[in-house]
Amino acid sequence: MPTYDATVVTKTKSAGGMILGKTAQDEFGFGTFSDTCAYAVPKNPIDPERTCGGSSGGAGCLAAAADFPHIAIAESTGGSITAPAAFTGTVGLTPTYGRVSRYGLIDYSNSMDKIGVISRKVYDSALMLSVISGHDPLDSTSSRAESGDFTAYVGKSVKGIRIGIPKEYFSDVDRKVSKPVEDALGRLEGMGAKTVDISLPRTKYAIAAYYIVAMGEASTNLARYCGMRYGAQEKIDGEFSEYFSSIRSKYFGEEAKRRIILGTYVRAAGFRDAYYTKALKVRGLLIKEFKEAFAKVDVLATPSMPILPPRFDEIESMSPLDKYNIDKMTTAPNLCGFPTISVPAGKVDGLPVGLQLIADHFHEGELISVASAFEGDSD
Amino acid sequence: MRVIAIKVMIGLEVHCQLNTQSKLFCSCEAYPQNAKPNESVCEVCLGYPGAKPVLNKKAIDHVVGIGIAMGCKINSETYFSRKTYFYPDMPKNFQITQYEVPIASEGTIEVNSSKIRIRRVHLEEDPARIIYANGSLETTSYVLIDYNRAGVPLAEIVTEPDIGSPKDARAFLEKLSAILEYLKAYDQSTGASLRVDANISIEGGERVEIKNVTGFENVEKALNYEIVRQQNLVRLGRKVERETRHFDEVAKTTLPLRKKEFEEDYGYIFDPDLPVLKISAEWITRIREKMPDLPDKIAARLADEYGLGAYDAKIIVYTGSDFATFFEKVCKIHNKPVEVSRWMINYLLKSLNWRSERLSQSKVTPETFAEFLDMIDKGKVNERYAKELIKEYVDTGDKPSEIVERAGSPPTHDEMERTVKNVLKENVKAVSELKAGRLEAKQYLIGMVLKETRNRGDPKAIARMISEELKMPL
Ligand SMILES: [Zn+2]
Repeated sequence: MPTYDATVVTKTKSAGGMILGKTAQDEFGFGTFSDTCAYAVPKNPIDPERTCGGSSGGAGCLAAAADFPHIAIAESTGGSITAPAAFTGTVGLTPTYGRVSRYGLIDYSNSMDKIGVISRKVYDSALMLSVISGHDPLDSTSSRAESGDFTAYVGKSVKGIRIGIPKEYFSDVDRKVSKPVEDALGRLEGMGAKTVDISLPRTKYAIAAYYIVAMGEASTNLARYCGMRYGAQEKIDGEFSEYFSSIRSKYFGEEAKRRIILGTYVRAAGFRDAYYTKALKVRGLLIKEFKEAFAKVDVLATPSMPILPPRFDEIESMSPLDKYNIDKMTTAPNLCGFPTISVPAGKVDGLPVGLQLIADHFHEGELISVASAFEGDSD
Repeated sequence: MRVIAIKVMIGLEVHCQLNTQSKLFCSCEAYPQNAKPNESVCEVCLGYPGAKPVLNKKAIDHVVGIGIAMGCKINSETYFSRKTYFYPDMPKNFQITQYEVPIASEGTIEVNSSKIRIRRVHLEEDPARIIYANGSLETTSYVLIDYNRAGVPLAEIVTEPDIGSPKDARAFLEKLSAILEYLKAYDQSTGASLRVDANISIEGGERVEIKNVTGFENVEKALNYEIVRQQNLVRLGRKVERETRHFDEVAKTTLPLRKKEFEEDYGYIFDPDLPVLKISAEWITRIREKMPDLPDKIAARLADEYGLGAYDAKIIVYTGSDFATFFEKVCKIHNKPVEVSRWMINYLLKSLNWRSERLSQSKVTPETFAEFLDMIDKGKVNERYAKELIKEYVDTGDKPSEIVERAGSPPTHDEMERTVKNVLKENVKAVSELKAGRLEAKQYLIGMVLKETRNRGDPKAIARMISEELKMPL
């Protein structure tokens, strides 16, 4: 049990919300399929053989399955809201970095961690964002940008809205996924939106840069887990270094250990400039490229995930690198702190496909407008 | 033994606990008085998962002020970084410090007319305090950890290796400490401390670091020991290896902590919870305008305004800002600055040191001290008695006039005469020497009379009585 409430929890409670419990996620948020959870693996309500996506898989699962009014608080560092929303056929809203206080959020990669929402309907996500967003003096990176009532954007006309289609996000994608997304864009055009072809060539560096920054930061965040103060503890035996090494070897999951080792490597003297520092530069260049695109369009549209929700046996045969590559739709906007929303774009073979919309920093309003217009049309 | 002149290069890293109400990144009290261990803590300074640091602006003000005082460049954009290493006193197993760009860089402090370059001044958080349960690092089987200290703001002041001798290192530290105190960045009365790491190399040898020495005298001793040790190694044809040593305060020697084959790898990254810190020109101006006068300037003024010798003025100033302020307050009441300075430096300071007390912590006030000097001036107490009196005065803080009253009235003229007669009777040898013309014998006899009267007589009156009694000219 935590000794204090996260700001998001405090805000939810004071707005009259009831916190029901915690949902499963990959250990420390390290995963795309919720297959590395510490306790139990959430199964997709549509097909229990398949993943809910991750890392906020439990949140997606519950949002899809609960038969009572319910909104899930979720977290995204590199796509952990979009993935479960897409795989469970729900709405996942990832706000701009800094829009929602991270105070009380267990850190994965502090320069990218974003608390957001997974819900059945766009309106619910917009409502919840209105509740949890705003400046928090306890989080120095939380923004002073005006928040207000995001439900006001629900149902706004998309007439004249410019939707950018970045070609890099449609190549090397399962056709079963890209087809419904293309159809969705056609429907939006029918509602008066204009589509514009865009190219974001630096996207190919996003996954590498994302994992370097994320693992570098994560490896320092996890340093505190050393068998003192909280978490797993054992009888202290030997020197401190022997003790904490044995605790960490024993109790961290395999993926956590992999990220600690890689993360320590990329920031080590002699490698730091080649990896960590360079990845930060790549982030700067990516932001620039996106900003140039947002000068031409209001939102960008991509498939949420490059594949349909995979079966657990398929996931087992993937290498860590295969898994990291599944994040290619989501890493760039997440690395750069842009807000995204994933909204259901129909089903293929009975499995859900998500449409991801990306907007400029602090332009969640446009995402909510477009997503809600599209959602209304799909109903 | 032939003394070989060798070139010594000393650099210092000084950690100063800054004078702030709250810790560097949370609102816990930085210097809780009478707190039990682990009472002044919260989720932030304990490094609980999910807690986030929020920077204390007052600590930045202090570092900017220190930078200005040393003529540093104040960097308009500065960053916080995570320095990762595992140690039981580190709540997060990383320390938030400044790596890439410190708040201040490239300054100087002049010591014994040589310029010591300041490489950087940056801000960081203090780790927790480790208490060695069974004595020391070497003997303990377990340690206790007090997180009250975790997160206390530290200014780290790093010099270039410009210091040429252990004596200069000590002088540097004394000067630095006074500057920090005058800036009100450092206040020992709260329990704040200065900790020093010193590195030293002699010509041709590797650099040796001596960690965590407390007390400036110990820094000097540790460095002196190192010079001899390193010279001996060279004389024996051995190499001075790069290593970290610690100073054994009891044995007054340095002992190896660990060999340093390569630079430690702390895997620095930017602390992603703290945005770039921008220090605007207005901010710097605001601090600059509030800057108090620094010790050298005040010493020059005291010498000039009060006619003190340069050396005495420096002692008054460098003893502490409380001491200098006290001096001026006393002079306002008892306008004989040279006497005030003499009694403060020679006797008041000695009594305070004896009690290991600072003036600001003592019960002595300018009003009572001025009264004390006035009593000497008017001959109500003689100097010898005054030197006794000041001890009781510093001990109790009572008004000197009350202490004198308590001690009973001084001997009457008749009582004095009786005492003189007795002393002369009992010191036949001295009397005959005096009669033979040895004037020191007279001083001796006066001393004996004073002793008998517990220093309560006027030495001039006693001299007169002795002369009368022996029927000698004065
Ligand atoms: Zn605290």
